[in-house]
Amino acid sequence: MKVSLSWLKDYVTIDVDAAELAEALTMAGLEVEALTDRYGYLDRVVVGRIVEIAAHPHADTLSVCSVDVGDGIKPVVCGAANIKKGAFVPVALPGARLPSGDTIKAGHIRGQPSEGMLCSEAELALGTDSSGILLLKDQAAPGKGLAAALDLSDAIIEFDLTPNRPDCLSVIGVAREAAAILKTPLKYQEVKVPAGATPIEELASVTVEAPDHCPRYAARLILDVKIGPSPFWLQDRLNSVGLRAINNVVDVTNFVLMEMGQPLHAFDFDRLAENRIVVKTARQGQRFTTLDGVERTLGAEMLMICDGKGPVALAGIMGGLESEIEDHTRRVLIESAYFDPITTRRTAKRLGLGTESSYRFERGVDPNGVRRALDRAAQIMVESAGGKPAEGVIDVYPRPIRKSVIELSVKRTNRLLGAGLSREEVGSYLESIELEVEPLNEDRLRVASPTFRVDLKRPEDLMEEVARLRGYDKIPTTYPESDVVGIPRGKKLKLRDRLRQVLSGCGFSQIVTYSFIEKDACDRLGLGDKDPRRRMVSITNPLTEDQGVMRTSLLPGLLATMYRNSAQRNENLKIFELGKVFLNPPAADRDELPLEVEMISGLWTGARYDKTWHFREEEADFYDIKGVVEAVCEGLNVKKPRFAPLSSPDFAYLRAGHAAELHAGDERLGAAGELSPAVLKNFHLKQTAFCFDLNFDLLVDHATQEKLARPISRFPATTRDIALIVDEAVEAGSVLDFIEGLGQELIEAVDVFDVYQGRPIPDGKKSIALRITYRSFERNLTDSEVNTIHEVVTNKVLKQFKAQLPAIDGWR
Amino acid sequence: MKEKLERLEQEALKALEAADNPQEVQLLRVRYVGRKGAVTQCLRSISTLPPAERPLAGKLANEVKTRLEAAFKDSIEAFDTGRKRPDGALDVTLPGRPLAGGRLHPITQITQAICEIFLRLGFEIVEGPDVELDYYNFEALNIPKDHPARDMQDTFYVSENIVLRTHTSPIQVRVMERQSPPVRIIAPGKAYRVDSDVSHTPMFHQVEGLMVAENISMGDLKGVLTIFVHQMFDEETSLRFRPSFFPFTEPSAEVDIRCVICRGKGCRVCSHTGWLEVLGAGMVHPAVFEMVGYDTGRYTGFAFGMGIERIAMLKYGIDDIRKFYENNIRFLEQF
Ligand SMILES: [Zn+2]
Repeated sequence: MKVSLSWLKDYVTIDVDAAELAEALTMAGLEVEALTDRYGYLDRVVVGRIVEIAAHPHADTLSVCSVDVGDGIKPVVCGAANIKKGAFVPVALPGARLPSGDTIKAGHIRGQPSEGMLCSEAELALGTDSSGILLLKDQAAPGKGLAAALDLSDAIIEFDLTPNRPDCLSVIGVAREAAAILKTPLKYQEVKVPAGATPIEELASVTVEAPDHCPRYAARLILDVKIGPSPFWLQDRLNSVGLRAINNVVDVTNFVLMEMGQPLHAFDFDRLAENRIVVKTARQGQRFTTLDGVERTLGAEMLMICDGKGPVALAGIMGGLESEIEDHTRRVLIESAYFDPITTRRTAKRLGLGTESSYRFERGVDPNGVRRALDRAAQIMVESAGGKPAEGVIDVYPRPIRKSVIELSVKRTNRLLGAGLSREEVGSYLESIELEVEPLNEDRLRVASPTFRVDLKRPEDLMEEVARLRGYDKIPTTYPESDVVGIPRGKKLKLRDRLRQVLSGCGFSQIVTYSFIEKDACDRLGLGDKDPRRRMVSITNPLTEDQGVMRTSLLPGLLATMYRNSAQRNENLKIFELGKVFLNPPAADRDELPLEVEMISGLWTGARYDKTWHFREEEADFYDIKGVVEAVCEGLNVKKPRFAPLSSPDFAYLRAGHAAELHAGDERLGAAGELSPAVLKNFHLKQTAFCFDLNFDLLVDHATQEKLARPISRFPATTRDIALIVDEAVEAGSVLDFIEGLGQELIEAVDVFDVYQGRPIPDGKKSIALRITYRSFERNLTDSEVNTIHEVVTNKVLKQFKAQLPAIDGWR
Repeated sequence: MKEKLERLEQEALKALEAADNPQEVQLLRVRYVGRKGAVTQCLRSISTLPPAERPLAGKLANEVKTRLEAAFKDSIEAFDTGRKRPDGALDVTLPGRPLAGGRLHPITQITQAICEIFLRLGFEIVEGPDVELDYYNFEALNIPKDHPARDMQDTFYVSENIVLRTHTSPIQVRVMERQSPPVRIIAPGKAYRVDSDVSHTPMFHQVEGLMVAENISMGDLKGVLTIFVHQMFDEETSLRFRPSFFPFTEPSAEVDIRCVICRGKGCRVCSHTGWLEVLGAGMVHPAVFEMVGYDTGRYTGFAFGMGIERIAMLKYGIDDIRKFYENNIRFLEQF
């Protein structure tokens, strides 16, 4: 929404500069988005004095002028006849951008150099005369800016208005706010329509068949108009707020729209069948061509303005091609109506057609301003298009909309604002914006708000008016009274913090990716047909195709991040994401929300350590990623986590034999391991990568927060090593579990310290070397005591796993 | 006396030759020319000599002391400048063996910083679903269907009644539905809008705050947000409250802070206004209280919301919001 300072001044005395006014309006809630110089486009247009005129050697109609432009005499080729030596004229210098959009350049015209252009007033949008060069009456110094020489100055104020203030979508609306802030009265223009000869009822009729959608419809007829360009003042006003002048009828409706905020429509009355207007809803599927030339299919709920035969306008949105004003139009019917905001909004949305008019009807125009706007338009049209009005007005307004009346408590106003205002102060703020205030008692005011203020419905709305007119800066800064409360931080929040600490401690950086991903992500991960992660939540209006569904796994985001980083040559990556995935419920009820599950997933690719002078470059492997998961379990204090070879089809994206599932209790928390080559290929990745993908909600369930100190034995430990030669299929974990299961109290720990395959171990076998730590809480263990126990343990293990000891025994 | 001084000098120079590190040199210096050093003591004992011997002995002692001091100084300098290195010493300028930790995403770090401030003020952290019912995202917040205020937030739809939440405000309603006043919460989370350019991404993060009790005033809102801004930025950062419109607050305010880049002089970041818009806030609209069954006569409250990316961009000097979601590791490792 744009207004010009000079237009505002028609209605309110403004004695501050534009910047000050803009600041004050912003602080009163009308946010000024931009403040620009109306005549900024005249920057490179200066006063010039014609020193010499010579005939153009190659063109009869052109002359070559020598023009003094202040910093020298320049040659300018000109075709106008009204120039003479000594005249003062506007010169557009190279670089000037004229209202037509043309940029002036220095160059040659028919072989003669020309370093500028002499301009007519029309070319500079300073008038309508295009017949000759503008001859300046006052002699100004050559080189002086034209705007300064002609004393042209105006500011354009552009607002970013909030949707609750449709009353400010007009010059008068903004002027009303300015008047309240500057504490000066608003000056309304006098509106007077000359009397007509024939009563309008004899010429036209209006029937409103859908009064719910159209509570008010008023019309006037202007006869004998002569269509032509508008007078300059009218064109200038429209230009100043960015509207293009069209003709002396349409311009008037646009002028009143901008001035009063009431959208109007002008019909060519002679093209309205049977000379009548019927306001009714459309037939489903009916076709209608709007004046932008687009044929549209109508819905049954859309409100149409019709004539005796059919639709002529989309009510409140756009007129039809068939009844628009043309050059030979003689009789004009002006429509001024109040259309229901919701009806207008639905139709505009359905058709994807928003106009200045629909924008205002959607937000709410003043139902009681309809008549005044109509009269204003008639008055100006008679002046500008030379018409005569028919006598009277048709005004269908069966159920007048009244002012809303609100009772306001001064005490409650003060309580909400933290202020100490008197009843009189509250009242005078409200009166300054044309609200009617009547005291009921010491505390209460009865406030009637005019119908142009659609946003004032409740006492709190009035409290805001008081607060903003007084200035939010006047509200004192206070602190709420508060009880001491101790709110424990929830388990999940604590564990999230802990988890992020653990992972960053492991060298993993956190990433955050979009919650929406591409639809085929499940296929690319190779998930099975029945996989629950295929129950994706689709977005009906995604921004791009690859953001079409809500993610059901964090892996696509990690893989896409790896892809982007590898394109940037960031080849060593340790990253994780902690975030929600979204699963549709199994039997999708239309209004049931999806299940939101929090996951923690990470990816490790490239070297184990960044290459430095310390380390040989080594690739990360399965045991690296497993170590991270172990650190996570330890950090979160997960009860008894267990790793097992993959058995579930859920982890099809991991390479078989190079990945493990994580279990705790009887639940599976996720998996970790190498990504399958097929998945890497599907995500266009070349480098081996390892990932973990764990359900954070389940981790939280299995995490214990209590930590109890166990006693530490004062006695020394004794260790014994044992190397077992077993079948290659035997898992180290099962050997450890077996030893633990023996329940030998003196065994404190068992560690694997070597695994070896190859000569001299026979094919199909491997050696696992264990170190068993023995310790007692009560005494020093003797060697022979430990040897005895160790032999028993060794024999049980050998038997259980059909293992052998190596040829050279490891007893020490 | 002369022999003694000569012997001391020889002995000191020999020891200095053998010294392996600057610490040792320091010790030698103390031992010979320190306050209680051997040469210094010789110098002091000159007064016990017969008067005729004193001048010569004094001159000699001073010469020895000066020479030794110079030698010690030179030796220490040799170690300091690396001309001399102790035997078997390491090149300590080689980089240490890295134990590089990972970094938390800047959005997480800023969210944590914001939450910390409000936790200290007694606010509780709550969360809500990202995929939300239209009812909670709009209707219960006084934004009915077909209301122009819906245009303020371009919405991703899942179905007619399910949306991706466009703000974290629905959490307010969910909390008030299950808890009676007093309420003091903050709700961090993701939000989604159909928007994408240098300053908008289709997904972003917000923190919502809500306080409801008896007699909460707009002055209290100013107080709490002032504390927040002063702790998040610094005590010199002033605030400005400006009337605005949100359907779920009345009165509503935009909260600007003095530009933290130019301190109000005007720069590109603040579009030469000297102010930065960082928060939306207001007093909870009575219609919202009615929706959750709160007694509007008894309770008042305030709510506020802020974009985390916006604050992170100001804190870290980031000019393109999309960088947060590119996850270039070299970008992330700066924080
Ligand atoms: Zn700035």
